[in-house]
Amino acid sequence: MSIASSLTAELKVQAPVRRKPFRDLARTRLSGAVLIVVLLLLWEVSAARGWIVSDNWPRFSAVLAAAWRGLLSGELADILGSTLYRTLVGYVAGCIFGVAFGLLLGSNRYFDWTLRPLIEIQRTLPSPAIIPPLILFLGVDDTLKIFIIMLAVFPPVFVNTYGGVRGLDETLLLTARTFGLSRFDTLRKIVLPAALPAMTAGMRIALSLALIMAVIGEMISGASGVGNYLMSMQYAMRADSMYAAVICLAAAGYLLNRIFLMLERAVLHWHHSTRME
Amino acid sequence: MFSMTVLSRAALVAAFTALATAASAQTVRVNYIPITDVTPLFVAIDKGYFKDEGLTIVPTPSTGGAAGVPGLMAGAFDVMYGNVVSTMLAQEQGFKLEVISAGTKQFDTPANTNGMLARKGAGIKTGKDLEGKTVAVNTRNGIIWLFARAWIAKSGGDASKVTFKEVPFPQMPDALRGKQIDAAFMVNPFFAASVIDTDTFEFVAAPYREVQPNVEVGHYISTQEYFRKNRETMAKYIRAFRKGVQWYNANLKDPDLVRIISGFTKMQPELVAKLSLQELPEVINLGAVATTVKLMKENGLISSDIDLEAMTAPEALK
Repeated sequence: MSIASSLTAELKVQAPVRRKPFRDLARTRLSGAVLIVVLLLLWEVSAARGWIVSDNWPRFSAVLAAAWRGLLSGELADILGSTLYRTLVGYVAGCIFGVAFGLLLGSNRYFDWTLRPLIEIQRTLPSPAIIPPLILFLGVDDTLKIFIIMLAVFPPVFVNTYGGVRGLDETLLLTARTFGLSRFDTLRKIVLPAALPAMTAGMRIALSLALIMAVIGEMISGASGVGNYLMSMQYAMRADSMYAAVICLAAAGYLLNRIFLMLERAVLHWHHSTRME
Repeated sequence: MFSMTVLSRAALVAAFTALATAASAQTVRVNYIPITDVTPLFVAIDKGYFKDEGLTIVPTPSTGGAAGVPGLMAGAFDVMYGNVVSTMLAQEQGFKLEVISAGTKQFDTPANTNGMLARKGAGIKTGKDLEGKTVAVNTRNGIIWLFARAWIAKSGGDASKVTFKEVPFPQMPDALRGKQIDAAFMVNPFFAASVIDTDTFEFVAAPYREVQPNVEVGHYISTQEYFRKNRETMAKYIRAFRKGVQWYNANLKDPDLVRIISGFTKMQPELVAKLSLQELPEVINLGAVATTVKLMKENGLISSDIDLEAMTAPEALK
């Protein structure tokens, strides 16, 4: 037996092992989708076979049917639209404040000492706990919900921006001074680009927080949006419609994150951390 | 310059709109819980009774519960449906409220629309049986909690030996099934859906009617300030709303009622048709409210007296 033929024989033995479907699957991104499908199938079977008996546990196929009806009638688009509107307004406002305060406190000692204790205290307040008193000042409409979204978005954006500015290499600033750059130009050309990766990391965390807070706010008070819909469907004993809204919300959240990643890549194409994904 | 003009125009328009609303107040914003008890409001809207009085109603639902009285005080809405216990608690805490019309009363009819349920075969018949056990109520210090306690005491139990757990109405059947609680004070549609499931659940009692027959459960309130400032609008509102109650009581079996209820509760019409609807009150019986207030005092919810007549619109009493 030649060396070559023994090698082929060995390969023949190994080949079927390497074609094991599960192992191949685990090497692709498809495995994530397969896991979701398996869980959903388990849901369907558990309801259909009566493993779980409850009005709050409809079959997944009933949920899909409810989602289809909701999408056709425009009801789901309506409620998702109002939730996304509030999410984005609150998110943008929170990001603007987070970045502004992060830059300000990160680069100015006096502002840092004066404002940071207050911000550190605000950071620890759970938003749902302060909704009842906030209703007294802001009512129960959009202002309230946008405000609590902003409150939730602010801390991660602020902390990351602040950290990004603080972590700036001193040499860079000294170089800027040597070249006689104005304060504004230093901010624009040195500080901002250097802090940008940290800033966007904070913004990405804040995006899902914004969506969560929008739904919580609508659950506690309100007449529109996904949160309100979830509550009214529970009280109307329409669990299938409730889960349909949850699924649409999850899809919207996933899409928002994808869009964010695309934008991040476009803005931070020069930064290595974007290639890690 | 352009933006300045636009801005000042917008400000002017806003100012005029504000003036117009302050002068006539023909739009009334009503906050409600999407339960069958508030059906007369939607009957009155549907049948045009408010329109006949020149009123526009903006109904806003609230399911979470946090909105309630704070939303009313903040001016987010003008009128709200609430339960008697919450109103009296708020009144004692210094919120100045006005009861403008009757809402829900537990009349002595054979059909139950709410009640205490336990698991089948658990042997829970009286309040005594519940000692050391867990009972679900929707909120602590609410009317459900109060009457659950009062019923336990009335049927020979000691309410202080019973653990009360806050469980939202939609989750009560699951919590009972899953043995996280031993009994639950449920309301419709969850009560109706659970009480027919006799393989799993068992009806224990109807606390409202057993503790206080003809108890006033819910009513409509506004702030005293709003009520006084908009006396004429409120008189129109109360008249139109009462017509809604009258139509509702006269047409309890009407298929049109199923359409109206399904419209604002979002319940499927088949489910609505299964609910046994109860008559609703046209007027408030202050004696009945006083009995409930006394019960609140006995359970330590309030300590001072409340002048019920002073806080109730005269039209709501006759």
